[in-house]
Amino acid sequence: MNFLDAYRLWWLLLVPVLVWLAQPPKPRVVTWTPHFDAVERALAARRLRPPRRSNLRLLLLLGACGAAVAAYGGLGVPAVPGPQRLVVLLDASASMSADDGAADDGAADAVTAAAPRRSRWQDATAQLRTTLAAVPEHVEVTVLRCGGDLLRRHGAFARQVRDLGEPGGAAAVDFVALAAQLPDDVAVCTVTDGQGQTSLPTRGALRVVGGAADNAAVLDVQLDDGWPLPELVAAIDLVAFTARAAEVQVRIDGDAVEPVAQAVTLQPTLPQRLTVPLARRAAGGALRVTVSLPGDPLAADDVWSCVLPPLPAPTIAVLADPEGGPYANVAAEALAAEVSGRVVAATDDATAGLLLVDGGQIELRPGIQRALCFGTRLAGRAAGEVLLEPRVTDWDRRDPLVADLDLSGLRVLVALPETLPDGAPFLFGAAPGGEPVPLAVVAGGGERCSLHFAFRLADSNLPLLPAFPQLLRRAFVRAYGTGASATAVRPALPAGEQDLRQPAAAPDRPLPPFGVPRRSWRGVCLWLALALLALRAWCR
Amino acid sequence: MTRSFEPPALPEPFEAPFVQLLHELLARGLSPASRRDEHHRARRSQLGQSGTFVGHRRYAHGDDLRRLDWAAYARTGVLFVKQLAEDERRTATLLLDLSPRMCLGAPQRRLAALRLAAVVGGLALRQLDGVQVLAPGAKALTVAAYSGAGDLVELLRHLARLPVAAATEQEVLATCEPRMGTGHVHWISDFARPDAAVRVLRALRRRGLGVTGWLPAIAEDERFAARGFVDVADPLTGQTLALPIDAGLVAAIEKELLRTRQRQDRVFTECGARLLRWPAPAADDLRRSAYEPILAACAP
Repeated sequence: MNFLDAYRLWWLLLVPVLVWLAQPPKPRVVTWTPHFDAVERALAARRLRPPRRSNLRLLLLLGACGAAVAAYGGLGVPAVPGPQRLVVLLDASASMSADDGAADDGAADAVTAAAPRRSRWQDATAQLRTTLAAVPEHVEVTVLRCGGDLLRRHGAFARQVRDLGEPGGAAAVDFVALAAQLPDDVAVCTVTDGQGQTSLPTRGALRVVGGAADNAAVLDVQLDDGWPLPELVAAIDLVAFTARAAEVQVRIDGDAVEPVAQAVTLQPTLPQRLTVPLARRAAGGALRVTVSLPGDPLAADDVWSCVLPPLPAPTIAVLADPEGGPYANVAAEALAAEVSGRVVAATDDATAGLLLVDGGQIELRPGIQRALCFGTRLAGRAAGEVLLEPRVTDWDRRDPLVADLDLSGLRVLVALPETLPDGAPFLFGAAPGGEPVPLAVVAGGGERCSLHFAFRLADSNLPLLPAFPQLLRRAFVRAYGTGASATAVRPALPAGEQDLRQPAAAPDRPLPPFGVPRRSWRGVCLWLALALLALRAWCR
Repeated sequence: MTRSFEPPALPEPFEAPFVQLLHELLARGLSPASRRDEHHRARRSQLGQSGTFVGHRRYAHGDDLRRLDWAAYARTGVLFVKQLAEDERRTATLLLDLSPRMCLGAPQRRLAALRLAAVVGGLALRQLDGVQVLAPGAKALTVAAYSGAGDLVELLRHLARLPVAAATEQEVLATCEPRMGTGHVHWISDFARPDAAVRVLRALRRRGLGVTGWLPAIAEDERFAARGFVDVADPLTGQTLALPIDAGLVAAIEKELLRTRQRQDRVFTECGARLLRWPAPAADDLRRSAYEPILAACAP
């Protein structure tokens, strides 16, 4: 306990003056009485005390003066040097989800087996809560979640280590550099499993959870979907971070495919591709690729999964201009045969997977309804200028629709470019004057789209080209867009989070002693002075 | 805080007019119109420790246990004290309080006390064999004895020379006990602390002495005159109290004064003595009627 402004204690010299001023004047008249005892008894009976003899009032006055001067002098407890702010660097990378208890399953006894297992993340947050509970209240705590989304929590949320999500993502933070950047008056506490770090901070407290372990991971899965053909081939990239070659079990299951299990021997750290043909079920559903390695604590990278949609019904309806020849019907028949579908009548109540229109006019919402139109004028849209013998100049070679197709032999006699709706052109031509014009566009996207050509099949040699059947099948697939493609629901872990064999390690270090701010007792002294004065006014 | 008490100047107590009045009073003698109860009271006070058996009376607290009549107790089951008529009781004792408190009052209580002692002592010199003057605290003048009417002048001179001196209860007892033989004791004081007189009264009663307490009453015994912010001081100890004296406090003080008087009466009654309050006349008040109550009280 000391005084911040000790020199102000000189004001205590005024206390005797105040005491002297507080004394009532001395009586000028002296009355000698033979009944002094009676006077004293009368005073006692009335609970009176001579004002100049009131020791209690004098003491209260002295106390009030002393307390006031002590407040003015800045009485308080001196500060203790040390950090008063704590920044916790909490590793929330994907490797923190590893369950080290799972690696010991083989050796686990009954007691440990009965205890609930916790991941590194749960261990880290639980220990951090315990640690932060012992941190003095005046210390400002900030928790930085490092790994995946960078989150910062302050105050009570930080002390309770809440609302930090689940571990995931790469440890894109260099803890050593981050700890070094913090000011010197800030205490640092790093909680990590050391994964993805070359070294650990030498500054501040350190808590390392987990340890070295073997791990097998599914790096990536590529599905070669033959839809509308039933073939589905999964190309699975696997890797094992082990000391020696390890045999892993790969299992592909789910509602979308027939289950397949296969044992693969993986060389340490060498990615290996496993190609597995699958039989896709029409109902669709989840597809899960699982790799199993004994003692693998990190389950997050052992599974890759996606959702396959139900296979669309390959029904094709045809609307053809009678003057357009047989090309439309023939094309529909050929397409139905290729995708194992069928041609249905184009009635109002028919439900068709694709509407193939050749010439004429139709009420169609481009991009909404799945359709393949050849020289068809949409209702409410003028036919526009007729373009005679436009020259096919190029096609979008990056578009999967026409990539790798040879359309150089395409000849068009008559085209109506103004009948095309708004969309992405993929076939280009040139007017006789050399002006570029689109000859085909794709309207819409996502799960539904429609393809529009500016010419009828009869007005071109497209049906005669070898690329025509392939173009038809691609158009059918394109009309369904992403509605028929697989949706990955569990991407692979980022690199660097899977090799658990050699994490950075360092002995744990406790939190440094924190500083204590100066505690001022000025307010207490002032209140005490006021209370003593009030008590003095009440005392008689 | 204390102050030193300077006693106010005391007028000459025995000036010629008073001496003349004293002679007139003594020449007149005791009033023949003494009432019977006064006679009985005086007779009771003359009952002593030795002499002729005259009867019994009920035992009272403070009586000498040696005088209990055990035979009467065996017969009746009640404690009785044997009463003896002294063969020789021809002296009186004046016990004077010389404390500084006696110097206060208007008129001064000390002046009245000295004149009271002169009258009582003169009567004793005139009608008895002698008078003994005890003044505790007066050092060399503590004890004096006179006999015969001719010693009246010496008695007055002795009284006039007595100093202002405070005496504790123990000093009073130490002065009285070895010198108490027979006769009657006239204790002249203000009895401001009645409880301090209890031991003395009981000691005198154990010796079978009759005691009459004389209290020269002054106006301050009933009224407290000071007002305002004053220093109230005790002449005995010099202690002072700076007090704002208002009506409420005055009422409380006068209530205590009343309790003091009641306590004085109770103490004397409990100890089998009598207390006489004699209104102290002014220094120049030499009317015979002012002193006749003394003669009436001393009548046998």
